[in-house]
Amino acid sequence: MIPDPDAMPYPLATPGYETTAPAVPDAGGGRHPQSPGLAIFARAWAKAVTGTSYLPVTPAQLEEFLEGLTIRLVEALYAEPFSLRRGYQIGAALVGAHIASAEGLGRTIEVIELHLLRDLGLAGDNLRDRMARLLGCVAIGYTRALRDRTLDEQESIRRAAMVAREHAEQALRESEARFRHQATHDPLTDLPNRALFTERLEAVFDRDGASGRRLGVCFVDLDGFKMVNDTLGHHAGDLLLTSVAAKLRRGVGEHLVARMGGDEFVILVEDTTCTDDVLKVADAALAAISEPSIVDGQELHVSASIGIVERPVAGTTPSEVMRAADITLHWAKSSGKSRWELFDPERNEREVTRYALSSAMPAALERGEFCLDYQPLVSLCDGRLLGVEALVRWRHPKLGVLGPDKFIGLAEETGLIVRLGSWVLAEACRQARHWIDLSPKAPFVSVNLAVRQVRGPGLVNEVTSLLREHDLPPGRLQLEITESAMMNGADESVDILRSLADLGVRIAIDDFGTGYSNLSYLRTLPVCELKVAGSFVEGLRAPAAEPASLTDERILATLVSLAHTLNLTVTAEGVETAAQADRLRAIGCDAAQGWHFGSPMPPTHVDALL
Amino acid sequence: MRRPDWAPETIDIDRPSAARMYDYFLGGSHNFAVDREAAQAMLAAIPETPLIAQANRAFLRRSVHFLVEAGVRQFLDIGSGIPTVGNVHEIAQAIAPESTVAYVDIDPVAVGHSREILAGNDLAVAIQADIRDPDRILDHPEVLKLIDFGQPVALMIVAVLHYVRDEDRPTEIVARLRSALAPGSYLALSQASGEGRTSAEWDQANAVYQRTDRPLHNRGRDEIAHLFDGFALVEPGVVWVPEWRPDSSHAFEEAERAIYIGGVGRLG
Ligand SMILES: C[S@@+](CC[C@H](N)C(=O)[O-])C[C@H]1O[C@@H](n2cnc3c(N)ncnc32)[C@H](O)[C@@H]1O
Repeated sequence: MIPDPDAMPYPLATPGYETTAPAVPDAGGGRHPQSPGLAIFARAWAKAVTGTSYLPVTPAQLEEFLEGLTIRLVEALYAEPFSLRRGYQIGAALVGAHIASAEGLGRTIEVIELHLLRDLGLAGDNLRDRMARLLGCVAIGYTRALRDRTLDEQESIRRAAMVAREHAEQALRESEARFRHQATHDPLTDLPNRALFTERLEAVFDRDGASGRRLGVCFVDLDGFKMVNDTLGHHAGDLLLTSVAAKLRRGVGEHLVARMGGDEFVILVEDTTCTDDVLKVADAALAAISEPSIVDGQELHVSASIGIVERPVAGTTPSEVMRAADITLHWAKSSGKSRWELFDPERNEREVTRYALSSAMPAALERGEFCLDYQPLVSLCDGRLLGVEALVRWRHPKLGVLGPDKFIGLAEETGLIVRLGSWVLAEACRQARHWIDLSPKAPFVSVNLAVRQVRGPGLVNEVTSLLREHDLPPGRLQLEITESAMMNGADESVDILRSLADLGVRIAIDDFGTGYSNLSYLRTLPVCELKVAGSFVEGLRAPAAEPASLTDERILATLVSLAHTLNLTVTAEGVETAAQADRLRAIGCDAAQGWHFGSPMPPTHVDALL
Repeated sequence: MRRPDWAPETIDIDRPSAARMYDYFLGGSHNFAVDREAAQAMLAAIPETPLIAQANRAFLRRSVHFLVEAGVRQFLDIGSGIPTVGNVHEIAQAIAPESTVAYVDIDPVAVGHSREILAGNDLAVAIQADIRDPDRILDHPEVLKLIDFGQPVALMIVAVLHYVRDEDRPTEIVARLRSALAPGSYLALSQASGEGRTSAEWDQANAVYQRTDRPLHNRGRDEIAHLFDGFALVEPGVVWVPEWRPDSSHAFEEAERAIYIGGVGRLG
């Protein structure tokens, strides 16, 4: 029985292709194949196929294998009846042994055709015919097996390429997802970062820009975080941020919480129906943050401030929303922290104007946009014009004429007040000189001083040189300072005032009665006049019979008599009616100022009064 | 620019692959038209290329035989290629069935195919890695599952280093791998030398490989010998691969035309 060659193991490492071939029929004097001719033939065959493709065996193993195949060839040659199948199997066995190439087949046929019969001394009837048919079958079996093998290998390499490509694509997707996560999240807290927040905010605008929908944004900033960092170290700071981030995320539910950097977080509240929706989120955020955080075994309590914006999506932009939230956060910080503030467009408008004014002011001063108006100070005894108070105006090219209440505060904040004050002082002195030249009845000029001017070093020199420059009698200049400025004043301010008084300049306390109204303190100051605030005088407008009005009158009367005791004259501000003037005169008040006696006016109008 | 770690390699099968061309030269059909076309160009440059590839593959077979006989049971085969015929695990496990093999290749398709072939074989794995990053190979969990670096290992770097540029410091790569090996380990290595051929032949061959995923970097015999630093070469030393312990008279007729030079060294 012939074993199925397909099932036969290829002798890879263990030599010994055991042929089970029965004795070959001794056909016509043929020799037994296990003769020396067999080995000679097998060697020739092995030599012929070596190099046609890679054979993973030693030459000896190859020869042994081919000896076995030779026996089967001979058996097939003599088999009765002739079997095609045997030839096919031998061809397939060659391919199975990796002798698998066109050259492998060609050389095999050649070597069999040329050497088999001769080397093995075979002979018999129809042997030539049988040989031709057998070789044909070997070639068929070989080619079929080779084609199958080729197709299998093609299929498997294609599959491998496909799998590899799928792997690569999968890996690419994963790494893209990872990369995207990294690019859109904060590494410390794993919260969405600014980039993702911006993207989401912009998406809201793309989607809802033309709809009636609204949105809200909470800009959150921890209070005193820098302290934590500075005192407990950055590590603790980072732990705190992580803990706060987790609480925020939990506390505000489905809304997007992003870390914008440092200790700033922002919450996006999409699709709000009203402001209340965002306020609730802000309250939840404040509550979440206020839960104590355990950092390095320590319980830390932090609070946060939140700036809130809630508005329709249409008509605004992402950057406007963020700027508004940022501004509002600063409001929350400056109004005491640990709270939220809601964006107020009017407040913002005011602040924007203020900002614009304060930044335009220095150039305006250079360009001479400021000017002085003067308000008469009139004697209550005889109605004589005693003096005028210089009041600064800004002729703003766009906003028109602005009163001091619009810009003096700003100038004080920016420090420009010192230069502006100097300009006012110089201008007032120049004007005072002009009036002296004009008339013997020329009034003194009263100029308001800002606190900073009084504290500054050069005031005494400045006044001295102005007096000299304009050849101005010192008594023609009065300097007004506010009560509170004096009360807060350091000793050096008092010294400066004293030096000014020593020059002969008049010193007045402005707005008396609005602060502490500490008369005994006044005794120690080189002051010659009190200007009583308009609010006191206002009470005198009501009919004298009214109790409240009477009380005001009594207070004023006391004030006047005390001032007189201290050798101070009293000027009442804000006098608007003749009745007020009469009552003030009755009390003994020395002078008055107000609409009743003349509004602030350009200097040329004062000329006319002289 | 080197690919950043997070960005995986893309599969470009429109470009000839050195691994699949090698399969073609060995007589395999694990290749695509682009590979065959490049391989034909290589045949035009050096017509004996198939015999040269076969000679190298036969060197691999004989060296694995030798190593199993020497008692080694663990194989780390770097640049293992497309598993065609006569793979390391087949050779080793036929003699010593307990032998373990970790295949490493940079070519994802080669690795994919190896995995398919190895399905069901618990004693062999295939991973995708670059020999230029030896630490990744040495620390790879799949490798460590099968290879105990406390025991002798056969490190196979056969026909690979001519794809590694001098700038990537092949000597240091081998030294790093050596440092992980226990005494009694071996290195089997071959690579294409720049010798035995005319410069015209080389220019043509280099031009062909320039189009593939792995341009060639041939080295001289001395440089190749240098790669064995730290190993004691076994007989017959670093030689043309057909001359390394040939097992028959059918050896390459003119060994010095075999391009590949290689040998086996033992770690004392
Ligand atoms: C010519 S084949 C050698 C296959 C097998 N070692 C042999 O000798 O029969 C070279 C193999 O090395 C791989 N190869 C090239 N550069 C490599 C690298 N930097 N790291 C790992 N494998 C690399 C190729 O993908 C290819 O499969």
